[in-house]
Amino acid sequence: MAPRMVDKKRKAPAAATPEPQSDDEFQDGVFEGALSQSESDDEDFEIAVSDDDDESESDGEGSGDDNGDEDDGFLSDDIPSDDEAISKGMKDVEITEPGVDPKVEEKEDENLGYKTEKDANGGIRYVYEEIDPVYDSDDSDAQGPENTIGDIPLSFYDSYPHIGYDINGKKIMRPAAGDALQNLLDSIEVPKGWTGLTDINTGNPLNLTDEELELVRRVQMGLVPGDLHDPYPDTVEYFTGIEEKMPLSSAPEPKRRFLPSKNEAKQIMKLVRAIREGRILPYKPPEERQREEEEQEEVHFDLWQNEEAQEPNPMHIPAPKLPPPGYDLSYNPPQEYLPTKEEREEWEKTDPEEREKEYVPQKYDALRKVPAWDDLVKSRFERCMDLYLAPRVRKNRLNIDPNSLLPKLPSPSELKPFPTVTQTIFRGHVGRVRSVAIDPSGTTVASGGDDGTVRVWELLTGRQIWSVKLSSDEPVNAVRWRPTKDSFILAAAAGEDVFLMIPSHASVTPTLDQASRDILAAGFGYATNGQQHGEPGKEPAAKWARPGARLEDEGVLIRITVRSQVKVINWHRRGDHFTTVSPSGQRSSVAIHTLSKHMTQIPFRKLSGLAQTAAFHPLRPLFFVATQRTIRCYDLQKLELVKVCQPGAKWISSFDIHPGGDNLIVGSYDKRLLWHDLDLSTRPYKTMRFHSEAIRTVRYHRGGLPLFADASDDGTVQIFHGKVPSDQLENPTIVPVKMLKGHKVVNKLGVLDLDWHPREPWCVSAGADGTIRLWM
Amino acid sequence: MGKIKRKGQTGQAKNYLTRTAAVKKLQISLPDFRKLCIWKGIYPREPRNKKKVSKSATASTTFYYTKDIQYLLHEPLLNKFREQKVLEKKISRALGRGDLSDAARFERDAARPDKTGKPRYTLNHVIRERYPTFVDALRDLDDCLSMLFLFANLPSTSAVPAKMIARCERLCMEFQHYLIVSHGLRKSFLSIKGIYYQASIQGEDILWLVPYKFNQRIVGDIDFRIMGTFVEFYMTLLGFVNYRLYTGIGLKYPPKFDQTKDDMAAELGAFAIEGVNMATDEDATKAITNGEATTKAHGVDPKVQAAVDKIVRQLKQDDSDKADEAAAEVDDEDKIDDSIDKFEPVAPGGDILPQPSSGSSDPAELFSNFTFYLSRETPRQPLEFILRAFGCKRIGWDNVLGEGSFTTDESDPSITHQIVDRPVVQPVVDPEDDGEDNQTSQKLTANQRYPGRTYVQPQWVWDSVNDEELKSPELYAPGASLPPHLSPFVQTKQGQYDPTLPLDAQETEKEALDAEIGDEGEAQSGDEEDEEEDGSDNDMDVGSANDDSEEEEADDAEGGSGDEEEGSDGEEASAALQRQAELEAEISGKPVKSKQVDAKLKSKLSARKELEKKTKEEAEDLERAKGMLSKKKRKLFEQMQYTNNKKSAEDLKLRSKRRKHEKEQAKSKA
Repeated sequence: MAPRMVDKKRKAPAAATPEPQSDDEFQDGVFEGALSQSESDDEDFEIAVSDDDDESESDGEGSGDDNGDEDDGFLSDDIPSDDEAISKGMKDVEITEPGVDPKVEEKEDENLGYKTEKDANGGIRYVYEEIDPVYDSDDSDAQGPENTIGDIPLSFYDSYPHIGYDINGKKIMRPAAGDALQNLLDSIEVPKGWTGLTDINTGNPLNLTDEELELVRRVQMGLVPGDLHDPYPDTVEYFTGIEEKMPLSSAPEPKRRFLPSKNEAKQIMKLVRAIREGRILPYKPPEERQREEEEQEEVHFDLWQNEEAQEPNPMHIPAPKLPPPGYDLSYNPPQEYLPTKEEREEWEKTDPEEREKEYVPQKYDALRKVPAWDDLVKSRFERCMDLYLAPRVRKNRLNIDPNSLLPKLPSPSELKPFPTVTQTIFRGHVGRVRSVAIDPSGTTVASGGDDGTVRVWELLTGRQIWSVKLSSDEPVNAVRWRPTKDSFILAAAAGEDVFLMIPSHASVTPTLDQASRDILAAGFGYATNGQQHGEPGKEPAAKWARPGARLEDEGVLIRITVRSQVKVINWHRRGDHFTTVSPSGQRSSVAIHTLSKHMTQIPFRKLSGLAQTAAFHPLRPLFFVATQRTIRCYDLQKLELVKVCQPGAKWISSFDIHPGGDNLIVGSYDKRLLWHDLDLSTRPYKTMRFHSEAIRTVRYHRGGLPLFADASDDGTVQIFHGKVPSDQLENPTIVPVKMLKGHKVVNKLGVLDLDWHPREPWCVSAGADGTIRLWM
Repeated sequence: MGKIKRKGQTGQAKNYLTRTAAVKKLQISLPDFRKLCIWKGIYPREPRNKKKVSKSATASTTFYYTKDIQYLLHEPLLNKFREQKVLEKKISRALGRGDLSDAARFERDAARPDKTGKPRYTLNHVIRERYPTFVDALRDLDDCLSMLFLFANLPSTSAVPAKMIARCERLCMEFQHYLIVSHGLRKSFLSIKGIYYQASIQGEDILWLVPYKFNQRIVGDIDFRIMGTFVEFYMTLLGFVNYRLYTGIGLKYPPKFDQTKDDMAAELGAFAIEGVNMATDEDATKAITNGEATTKAHGVDPKVQAAVDKIVRQLKQDDSDKADEAAAEVDDEDKIDDSIDKFEPVAPGGDILPQPSSGSSDPAELFSNFTFYLSRETPRQPLEFILRAFGCKRIGWDNVLGEGSFTTDESDPSITHQIVDRPVVQPVVDPEDDGEDNQTSQKLTANQRYPGRTYVQPQWVWDSVNDEELKSPELYAPGASLPPHLSPFVQTKQGQYDPTLPLDAQETEKEALDAEIGDEGEAQSGDEEDEEEDGSDNDMDVGSANDDSEEEEADDAEGGSGDEEEGSDGEEASAALQRQAELEAEISGKPVKSKQVDAKLKSKLSARKELEKKTKEEAEDLERAKGMLSKKKRKLFEQMQYTNNKKSAEDLKLRSKRRKHEKEQAKSKA
């Protein structure tokens, strides 16, 4: 490797020197070897001498190499070696041509460079000597004598004089080894580059050259071994800059060579445009650029040059503007806007977030005294927060006069007559008065109350004319007159008993009294018969009996005992039947009693919900039962359910049927009064709310006046004008006309019952305060 | 079978997004989202049914319209935010590497609006989107102006860079200049919060608030980043609005700004308004500062002076006593000294003379003929702005108040009005003072007045502007107690309390009656107190009897006795009372007194009773009608009544306060 490197190195600086020289030099060594071989082959005694020669030669070569290394440009050394090589080449020829007379050869050689021989015909034949093609210049393979023994240890040839064979099969002789003394000297005086190895090719000791030593040294030092090679060699110009006289192609010059380039023009235009548009700017140092940018004014132009009004997005809600300042925000407001001391204290006490206004009006008598407002930044900030953080909701504010919502009602004075004032107060009951009723003739009032008495009063004067104590512990829950004028019979309920009585009274003529007694007594015989007819196993729904001598003397003639406490009594219009309702009575809560037969029937086996009240239809054979939520209408003849009204009230307290039979009013404990049109719907036609407490009773006027009233626990009675038109298509007109106030509220109970006069626009009401009032 | 509908897949749930979801969808940080919302004008919504919308159980969530957020998705600003974010990341990474030069390079590229006051992005397109027409922009200018004027007066801090403040100030000044040139200012109001201005531009009323020139106190936790975001947007908006306004009236925008003058606190005077046409450059340059316009001003000056002289002569001839009277009313000038006294005819004359027809409603003309001088203690900026906006050309002020005044010489003879805001101090009279020739040449002492000049307090300017006529300066003379300054923005509604009207015109019948009865009762009791002790006894009796009768009435009402009865009942009761009183008087042996006095009172009392009856009837009617309403309508009605009652209660309070006050005043006068 080393010699090749040398080659390169040599080549590099002296590019102009002819190439073969170096090769020749290389060959020089090779031929030397061959020479010595041939010499040793021929004459053994000469070995030492030739050996010496060889050594000196090799030394010389080494020195020559050194010289070449040191000064590359100096090639004088090479030239003599060249000559030497030529002369040696001659010698070589000599050797390789055996059988030829050397002298003749020499002579001929000197003359012409060819030999003349006699050919087969005897003619002269010129034999030219073989031309040495000097392949070596190109052929790197053709190296010197190569030992071809291959990869076997050299020790195999120890016993032979040769050390192997060259490529021609000739023996390569072992170079003469010096004697022991010489060896010793050698080993003491180690020559430069000594390795102690033997060159396998030549058998000579293998010494390293200076370059190789230098390389080894560099490797050992960890340096780049490449000091030997130049990492930056000069370029080798393969093509010269000299213009050739003859062109390579004779094609004429294309036209494009003479035209300006379109593409280039394009590129340039691009740049020009960029410069014009300011995309490419002349270079400026960054600091300057920054400063300029900062100084640059904001560019303004007419943003709304071609403005187009857009429909505002319906979902977009513009931010509401802040309200303009009012009088109280003035620095010098009118005196009345200044807060009083209490107001100011109150303002200061309230939490800043709960204050109605964020400021207190203040007065300064001169502008120079007005200070800065502390909360300005804060209020601005809050506005900002509102603008981006507050959800906006469009709220429709009705900007109308609230009175326009109110219905136009006719003036009450147009709807007269109706009761307006208290005419008479009936005092006498101890505790609440639970029920009140005006008799069919309209002269007397009957009442029953917590004290267990039934009292009859003269209507106009308020004088008590009759009284009976039905029970000592049970209150009288209901009193109702038999609705015909041919008799004077009062039904009253106390506890589980229903009493039928004939109050004695100045207006009750003996004939009337007798007629009444007959009506009551008529059923006794029937009752006994009827009872015999009834099934013996079953307990009767009610017991009809005489109440006893004491009560009979007073005029109480019949006692009917049902299973549970009776709360409501309602007569049929003919006066033969009446119904009682006892809400706690489960299955037997509603009972229908027949006076003429002294018979009691329980029409419903089962009722959905608690029965509250029941009534007969004023004209047709229909029967209404109110449970908590609904009012059911049954046909008594067909014995079937006709209709269910759903007033929508939570708990119905009472209802009443219009004398015309098509309308119904319902009062409920949830303070509502509902008007039903039975033909129209099962839902109420009108809902009214006039009371702050539960409605206890509702009642129509039965004497042809378009009036109805309700009584409530707030101690008031509300009178309505309720006209039902004869035309079916027209809606009834309902007008509240008067609220009667007078009863006191005792234990959250106000007016408990109410009844209309049969003809006049008067009504009586029973209060929890123990009084009965006649209103007219 | 239809598809099973899941909760949160259709309907309202789809229409709304919570804030978190919105931020996630846009893939930006919350502060960036906030900025975007502020600029794009996107605000949260209140869904009709929160439960249907929210997927979580938590009650308080902010909802946005999904459509709004989708609209944000295509916002070019979003990219800028992202770029900025990337840049920040690069910087922090570079710093983490310890590569300072890299970090510095990135930092140079990073826009730091909080330092430079100028971001890398522009909001032009946002403004165009939000305000498709110019009028839309004007409509939304209220908040913009209030905000910018506030920031123009803020001290610069780390959160509010000085550059931002300077820009705000310039924009505001430019806007003010526009108003001055176009005479667009309509009203102004001195409130405790600051000064409100209202301008009318292209038919849009714009109302904004300018703080007084003090250092603003910053209390509570105020996030200036949010405010800064708003200000950034508003600055851009006002810039474009100004451009349009200026070019609309043929002016060049931006106007020339003189830094040196601004440094001398010239404020408005630092700008030079120019016309767009360069050919007429000389004429078009309207020097707002009147320093340059001195030739012009002085040209006018002698004319005014001549006119003054003429009028003075006339007045002298006509009736000097009348002028004397007027002068006596003006203020306490007559008490000052002789030298001033001599010129008194001049003062009112000078006052009367330049007043134009006071009915001129043109705002450009209101102060056009006057020359004002602002005393040291008056607020110069608002006065200068408002006077100029209403046509005044020449305003002078003390050197202390800054550059740019017409004259700094208080004794300038052309001054017609001087605005003073200091208490009157009795000056020391110089006995040798000769009135005739020391008119202007002599330097007057601090509190002395120049004759021929009207001295007013600043409120005069505002009240004149708001009423569009010159108020009589006597009311606003220095040291006088000023009439109340009323807000010109209140639109009085029917039935609302109006302080400008007399009390009788707006109080209800009942109040009037009550008040009168109260008055007379007081007067009576006063009378009686003068008399013997028995009198007071009697009075008490009457009172109690009165009470009784009322109780009875109440009882009757409860008892349901008809309304018809009530009146008679009351009368009866009072008759009975009277009888009793007479009897008692007889017993005590005194003459039956106070009957005559009572007659009037009695009629009043009966009137009151009538009124009460009437109101009661009305209440009953109302009750009847209310019962017929459906539940929904009734609720609505009650709500409306509640608010109405609240308002009327407030008004009642105001009226009663005023009555009390008036009474006190009358007493103090008497």
